Amino acid sequence: MSKRSIPEINAGSMADIAFLLLIFFLVTTTMDRDQAYIRYIPKPILDPRPQPPVEERNLLAIKANSNNQILIRNEIVDMENISEKVLRFYQANEKKNEAFEFPFYSRTPKSVITDNIKRVEKQLKELEEQDAAEEFIVAKEQELDGWIGKRDALALYGGDVLPEISFQASIRIEVSNTTQYEVFVKIQSEIEEAISILRDKEAKRLFNTPYAVLKRKNSLDATGMDEIEKLDLLDVLYPARIIEVTPKR
Amino acid sequence: MSKFKKSTRGDVPGMNTSSLPDIVFMLLFFFMVATTTKEMDPTVEVVSPKGTMSTDMTPYKQRSEIDFAYLGKPRNPARSSQFKYGYALSLDNVLNENPDGLYATAQIGPWKKAKFDGKPTKMLAPIEEVITCIKADKTAPSGLIFDIRKELQKIEAFKIAYAVRDGSSGAN
Repeated sequence: MSKRSIPEINAGSMADIAFLLLIFFLVTTTMDRDQAYIRYIPKPILDPRPQPPVEERNLLAIKANSNNQILIRNEIVDMENISEKVLRFYQANEKKNEAFEFPFYSRTPKSVITDNIKRVEKQLKELEEQDAAEEFIVAKEQELDGWIGKRDALALYGGDVLPEISFQASIRIEVSNTTQYEVFVKIQSEIEEAISILRDKEAKRLFNTPYAVLKRKNSLDATGMDEIEKLDLLDVLYPARIIEVTPKR
Repeated sequence: MSKFKKSTRGDVPGMNTSSLPDIVFMLLFFFMVATTTKEMDPTVEVVSPKGTMSTDMTPYKQRSEIDFAYLGKPRNPARSSQFKYGYALSLDNVLNENPDGLYATAQIGPWKKAKFDGKPTKMLAPIEEVITCIKADKTAPSGLIFDIRKELQKIEAFKIAYAVRDGSSGAN
């Protein structure tokens, strides 16, 4: 058998093919990332009975009219200064309950939390033995979860007391029908900024990690379990309870 | 009688281009990694407002847990008179009802539902987990956002996102 040499394949057109692919990807893709604020729409209220009133000091009412002017607690506020008002709302009573027009903090000791877990567990067992209605059991289970959540948060927080802002404390956004979306989003942005500042400070103090890093790690994980405990604690310390009111006019 | 033969012709040797494909492939891979595919070309004009500390939607996009809806003035001005305040929703062609993809805000419920039902069962996150991302023009009236919220509440898609342009860097 004579030795036959295999002719080399001409790779001169490889560059052309690669360029073609490159140009295809350049045209069909975008560089910018999508950024947004995630909010939750509340479940519809089926209970016709009126809800219990909320104390005035626990509400931070932010209103915007159709001329894009902003009113916080009956005071006209510049758009850039919303975050300062939100910060004040959270921090006024953080060290000591002294400002009466802002939400109070409760400081629950460890012993109270463990006592409550024992008590609710016992009640739950009794209810199950009595074959109580489903909704009673579900309500008790939720109560138990709440206390267990507080116990875990305190274990991560360290120390003996868990400072918590009043459970009613919430931020209420009320815009009118013709308020521009830009203003609506600006309010959201300022609230987010204030809460991020507060949480970031705690995240750095407790875990030596910026809040943004924790959030990013969590969103990259499909199961969402990675940093969830730390984020839960920050959520207990500075809850973002935002009420968006459907405009009437 | 010299040993070294002097080349008589002054030709420049041809450049070796065998590494050109490598370089182009490198560029290609860079762009494949650094960019994301466009969702669609909206038929409404949208200029997003700026906002700080917003959440990056890319991980949700990679998991297809997000639907995008655009809210703005129709690019075709003749169409804007048919909508409330002159602002229309631009949805991708799942409903297949009109060619330009312009819908009233009330249509977002059926659209979201149809989109959700059309997904393969193995990637079914519950509908309350699938984010509806509203990309609204900065001049759009907020009342329309609340109309959309009402529709989403009916079909129990409780997770909503308000799109912004990232303004954290302060560069622009």
